[in-house]
Amino acid sequence: MAEISESPLQTSEEKSPVTQMSEPHESDPDFDPKTMRKAKPGLKRLILSLSVLFSFILGFPILWKSIEIYRAPLPFRSIESFSAQIESNPLLFPCQFQAIFVGFDSKSFGADELESAIEKRMLELSSKSSQCGTCNDNYTVSVVVDSRSHCVETKNMKPSCSWKCGPINKFDSIGKLKDNDEEADELLQSMLGSCYDSGYGGKVYSVVVVNGDEEVRAVVGKYRHAWITGTISEEEAVSRIAEIFVKVFVNGGKEEGSIQGEFMPVGADGKIVLSFSLLNADPRDWVYDWNFHEVGEVLVHPVIEALQPIANVTVESQVLYYTPKSSLSFWDDRHGSHIFSTKDLPFFVNSNEWHLDTSAAAGGRSKILQFVVYIPSAKECPLQLILPNGERSETNGFISPMWGGVVVWNPKSCVKNSDTKDIVRNMISPQDLQKVFEVVLGQLRQLFGLKSTNLYVGLSGTSILLGSERGFTEWELDVLSRHHTCFNLQTCATTLGSLSRLVQSLPRMIIKDEIGKQVKFSLEAAKLAQSNASVGIYDASAVSSRQSRSLAEDAFFHPSIMSISYYSFEHCFAVYSPFFLPVLMHVILAALREWKRYKQENWKYLAWKTKAKITS
Amino acid sequence: MRFLIFSLLRLPIGVLMLLLLCLGNIGNSVAHLSSSSESTLHTNNWAVLVCTSRFWFNYRHMANTLSLYRTVKRLGIPDERIILMLADDMACNARNKYPAQVFNNENHKLNLYGDNVEVDYRGYEVTVENFLRVLTGRHEAAVPRSKRLLSDEGSHVLLYMTGHGGDEFLKFQDSEELQSHDLADAVKQMKEKRRFKELLIMVDTCQASTLFSQLHSPGVLAMGSSMKGENSYSHHLDPDVGVSVVDRFTYYTLAFFEKLNMYDNASLSSLFNSFNPNLLMSTAYHRMDLYQRSLEEVPVTNFFGSVMETLHTDSAYSSHRSIDVGEAKIKICTDQPISGSDRRILRNMNNKDQENSRHSFGQLWNSILSKSTTPENVDAFVCHSLLLMLPLLVVSTWLSR
Repeated sequence: MAEISESPLQTSEEKSPVTQMSEPHESDPDFDPKTMRKAKPGLKRLILSLSVLFSFILGFPILWKSIEIYRAPLPFRSIESFSAQIESNPLLFPCQFQAIFVGFDSKSFGADELESAIEKRMLELSSKSSQCGTCNDNYTVSVVVDSRSHCVETKNMKPSCSWKCGPINKFDSIGKLKDNDEEADELLQSMLGSCYDSGYGGKVYSVVVVNGDEEVRAVVGKYRHAWITGTISEEEAVSRIAEIFVKVFVNGGKEEGSIQGEFMPVGADGKIVLSFSLLNADPRDWVYDWNFHEVGEVLVHPVIEALQPIANVTVESQVLYYTPKSSLSFWDDRHGSHIFSTKDLPFFVNSNEWHLDTSAAAGGRSKILQFVVYIPSAKECPLQLILPNGERSETNGFISPMWGGVVVWNPKSCVKNSDTKDIVRNMISPQDLQKVFEVVLGQLRQLFGLKSTNLYVGLSGTSILLGSERGFTEWELDVLSRHHTCFNLQTCATTLGSLSRLVQSLPRMIIKDEIGKQVKFSLEAAKLAQSNASVGIYDASAVSSRQSRSLAEDAFFHPSIMSISYYSFEHCFAVYSPFFLPVLMHVILAALREWKRYKQENWKYLAWKTKAKITS
Repeated sequence: MRFLIFSLLRLPIGVLMLLLLCLGNIGNSVAHLSSSSESTLHTNNWAVLVCTSRFWFNYRHMANTLSLYRTVKRLGIPDERIILMLADDMACNARNKYPAQVFNNENHKLNLYGDNVEVDYRGYEVTVENFLRVLTGRHEAAVPRSKRLLSDEGSHVLLYMTGHGGDEFLKFQDSEELQSHDLADAVKQMKEKRRFKELLIMVDTCQASTLFSQLHSPGVLAMGSSMKGENSYSHHLDPDVGVSVVDRFTYYTLAFFEKLNMYDNASLSSLFNSFNPNLLMSTAYHRMDLYQRSLEEVPVTNFFGSVMETLHTDSAYSSHRSIDVGEAKIKICTDQPISGSDRRILRNMNNKDQENSRHSFGQLWNSILSKSTTPENVDAFVCHSLLLMLPLLVVSTWLSR
C-alpha cells in the first residue's frame, strides 16, 4: 500500500523530469519536485502508525493494573485512632452501690450523712489513677435505713430494685442471718435478686448491715451482696462498707486492681484447654486410676459454664505411668513423712518423663493449663510439702502461672503390695477425688489471679467469702469479665497497631482480602465491646472483646504475611522490559517518522498551492 | 529566573515538612517501644536451636547443635519448649561408621543422639522461610504445637545458630541465605508482638558478629564466635569418624556448662569472660547495647535452664453445697469434632459484599480485572482477546485498501 500511494508521487516526479527533458511546460514553470507536490498527502500511513502507537498507549494502564500487587485496603486511620483511644482512656465500667441498714434508728443513722461518709471513704480507698477495668468515677451510692417504724432512702434506685421497707416478719427472718450463711445468702438473694435482672447502668452491689447483739461479722455472699451483723458503730460500718465495695467488689480481693499479664491464661483464640493428668510415679508399687468422667465432669462442668463469657473451655484427661519427679525429698521424723520444701517446687516438674502436652485437641493459639495429680512411689510415701515457716501445707499443691498446677495425693496406706505379682488397679475413691478437685479448683482460681482462700483480710477487719459450687461467685465473674475486657482490648489495639505499621512499612507486600475482613470485624467487635462496657453489660463486653482480640491475632498471624515473599520493583521491571521495550521503541520511532513525513509533504503541498495561486 | 527562585524557596519548606514528619515518626516509635512494660515476670524459657548445613563434612555443625540441645535439656528446659532444627541427618548417614550415634569428642564418651532426642524440623524442612515462620509465629493452621514457638511476654528465648556464614548472612542448606536484615526484622516483629521478654542469640559461624549487626530491638543480647573478617574454626578432627566433630566456640561453651547443674547461678559475664581468643583462634564478640540489665547479675540459667515461678496453694476451695458425686446426674458431654481448619474462613461475608457493591465504574473495572486475572479465567481471557484481534485486523485492512 505504501507503494500504491507512492506511485502517483513517483509517477508525477517521473513525469516532471520527463516533461522537463522533453520541453519546459508552461503550466508549472516553478514546480520543484523536491519542495513541492501537487497532490494532497495521504493520511493513511499516519493513521496506521498512530493507531498502533495509540493501542500501545491504551494498553499500558491495563498492563500496569494487571501487575499491581493486590492489597486489601486496611483502615489505618481507624486503627490508629482506636489504639490512641485505648491508651489514653482506660476502660472504666459503670457500677452502682447500695448500702442497707436494717434495725437501726434513722435518727442517729442519718441516710444522707451515711451516704456522703461512704462516698468519701471509698474515694480514699481507691487508688489515685483509675485502673483499667475498674469502676468509673460517677458511680452511685445509695443508702437505705430501715427501722421498724419507718424507712429512709436517699436516692431512687431502679424501681425493681428498691428495698421493700416495712414488712415486719422480714426482721425475724433476718435475725436468722447469724446462724447459717448459706441460707442467709439465699434469703438476701430472694430479696435483692430483682436488682440483677437488667444489666443497664452496671451491676448493683449491696451491703446489708443488720443490727445485732454479738460481735461484728462480715460475710460476702455468692451473688452480689454482702452482709454485716453485730453491734456496729457508724464509723466502723462506713469503713467496712467502703472497704467491701472498693476492695472486694471492684478489685476482686486483690491488693490493687492492676492487670498482670501472667494471670490472664486465655489463649489468643479465646480458648483454654484444661488438661488433667493422673501421674503414677512408679506403677510397680501401686497403680491408681480415677473415674474422671463421672466425678470430674460433675465437678468441673459448672465451672466451665461459669467461665463462658471469659473463655471457651474444653477439658481432657489422661493417666500416665513411670513419671517420677525430678526434685529430691528426705525423710523427716518430726512430721513422719518425706518432706519437700517450697525451694524444691521450681524443680518438681520433670519434663523429661512427664509427657503432658500431647494433646491434639488444642489448636496453635489456645492456651493449655495442666493440672497434675501426682501419686508418689513407695519410697517417697507419704510426701508432704512444708512451708517456709515450718508448717505442713494443707493442700500439698502449688501452681505455676500460665502453666497449671500440681497436687500431691498420698495413698491411704503406704504399704506396697509386694506379695501379688499382678498389677492391682486401685480406684481413687470419690470422696478423695472430690477433695483433690477442690484443691484443683482453688488452683484454677489462683491461675486467674483470685485467691483460693475463703477469707479476705482488710484494714478494717476480716470478711468471710462464701464459696460457690461454680468455682467463681457472681461478683468474681464480674471482676474477671472487666479485667479480661480491658486486657483483650489492649492486646487487640497493640496487635492491630503492629499490623498496620508492618503493612505500611512494606508497600509491595500482598495483603489478602481475608486479612482486611478480619481487621474490619475486629474493629467492629472492639467498638461493640466498648459500647457494652460503657452501658454496663460486663459479660457481653467480655465476649466481644475476646472476639476482637482473636480476630486481630488471626490477622496479624496470617501465614501469608511473610516479608521475604514480595515482589520488588526491580523484579517487575526486569521481567517485563525485554518484551515491551524493543517493540515500543520501534513503534514510537515509526510514528514519529510518519508524522515528520506527513508534515513535510503537507508543507510541500502548501508551497505548491501558494505558488499556483500566485501564478494564476 | 523567578521560577528558579520560587522553586528554591519551596524546597526548604518541603524539607522542613519532611523533617517534621520524620521526627514525629521517631517520637511515635520511641513511645511505642518504651510503653512495653518491663514489669512482666519471667515465667518460662524457650530454646530455638538451628543447624543449617547439610552434607557429611558438616558433621560438626550437627554435633554443635545436639551438644547444646543436651546441655539445655540437662539444665531443665523441657522438649515442649525446645525447637530443634537439623538440616541433615548425620546419625543415620550412610557414611557414618557408628550408626545412630553422634559424637562431639574423639573420645566418644558421649553419644549425643542416645536418648530422648526430639527433632522438630528435619532435613529439607529447615529453610529460611520456616525459620522465620518459627520466629514470627505465622504458621499455617495445620502446623502442630510442637513445631511452634509458643512463647509469651514472660519468656526468655535462647536462639542458637550454627553453620556456614559470612558477612551479614547465614547459609541455609547450601542453597539459600538468611540476611541479617531479615533476622533483625523478624526480631523486631517478635518484640512488637511481645513474644519474648529477653532474647539471647548465639551464633557459631564464620564472621558471626555481622549477623546481628542490624538488630535494634531492646532486650536482645547477642554473642558471636568471630568478628567481621575472621573465620571460626573447628576444634579437632576425629580420625575414626573421619570428620571434625565440634567447633571451638561451642566446645568451650560446653566446657563451661559441664561444670554447672540446674541449681547453680553462674552469671552471663562469667560465660563471656571464659572465652580465650588464643584458644578460639577468633574473637568472640558479644553485643550488649540493647540489653538493659548488667551481665553480672544475670544467671546463665535465665536462658539455659528452666525456671518455673511457683506459688503455693493455700487452701482448697469448697462450697458448702457440696455435690454428692455418687448420686449426681452425669451429664454426658458429647465430644465436639475437632475442626479441621482453625482459620476463620469468613464465608457469609460474600453476601454482604454483594449487597454493598456500588455500580460505579471503578467497581466495575475492579470486578472485570479480578475476574480476568484468576487462573481459570486467564485462558478464557486470552482466547477472547485473540478473537477480538481478528475483526480489528479486518477493519484496518479495509481502511487501507
